[in-house]
Amino acid sequence: MKKTAVAFSAFVFLTGAALAHHGWGSYDAANPVTVAGAILTAKFENPHATIMVQQSDKTWTIILAPTSRMNTRGASAKVIAVGNNVSAYGYPSTAVKDEMRAERITVDGKTYEMR
Amino acid sequence: MVDAAPAIFVALEQSAFSAAVRQSAWIYPAANIGHILALAAFAGAVAVMDVGLLAGAITSNSTRQFVRARTSAVAGFAALVISGFVLFSAEASHLAVNPVFQAKLALIAAALVNAALFELYARRTLAKVPPGAAIPIGVKVAGVFSLGIWICVAACGRSIAYF
Repeated sequence: MKKTAVAFSAFVFLTGAALAHHGWGSYDAANPVTVAGAILTAKFENPHATIMVQQSDKTWTIILAPTSRMNTRGASAKVIAVGNNVSAYGYPSTAVKDEMRAERITVDGKTYEMR
Repeated sequence: MVDAAPAIFVALEQSAFSAAVRQSAWIYPAANIGHILALAAFAGAVAVMDVGLLAGAITSNSTRQFVRARTSAVAGFAALVISGFVLFSAEASHLAVNPVFQAKLALIAAALVNAALFELYARRTLAKVPPGAAIPIGVKVAGVFSLGIWICVAACGRSIAYF
């Protein structure tokens, strides 16, 4: 019982310390944004496909889904090809400037869910 | 803000190997699955050793069981390192500065130091314990540390994606 308590305290202490930080995976779901524009760069790669989209004077890095899920949903490499117009609804990163994680994207009138 | 990663991790992420991991449809998922299967083998072997020690099931009379479990643990650990490196290389510059990933590596180092201390000191002590006698406290402490640290390593591993 004592041993379990020690292990549990260590776990709580360590995860507690970790929770105090914000790293790569933090996205602000309370402040969703919609970014629309032409796709400047596209990486159809794992663990997540990413595109860069310019909207007014800002260039957003938009994190999409793993490539297998992208394909399953119909959002193939062709759909997110450079030059296509995209509208992405998602959440801005609290850690990386001008980065957002897309909940869904719309290309050519068709919407693809990323989650 | 995320700190800039040291150049070596940026170089790794930009290498042809890392690009191949990202661009393949199956390498990254395969490494992910391999990492979990290796974890299952490793954790099982560690539990056989640590719980065996703590419960007094592993004593000087049954070190053969311990040695077999240790062989499985070493093999599982090797598979974890290999699959883990593949996963790491795909986004090395992000992971290198991820606080949970850093905590995970520090904990792995602590667990390996604990295992080395056990090998150097505690096993010799254990070998002198007569059958049925109580396990010395030092040996039990090593077992508790091992279990506790590896559980935290697993928790950190699962948490990396959320930070």
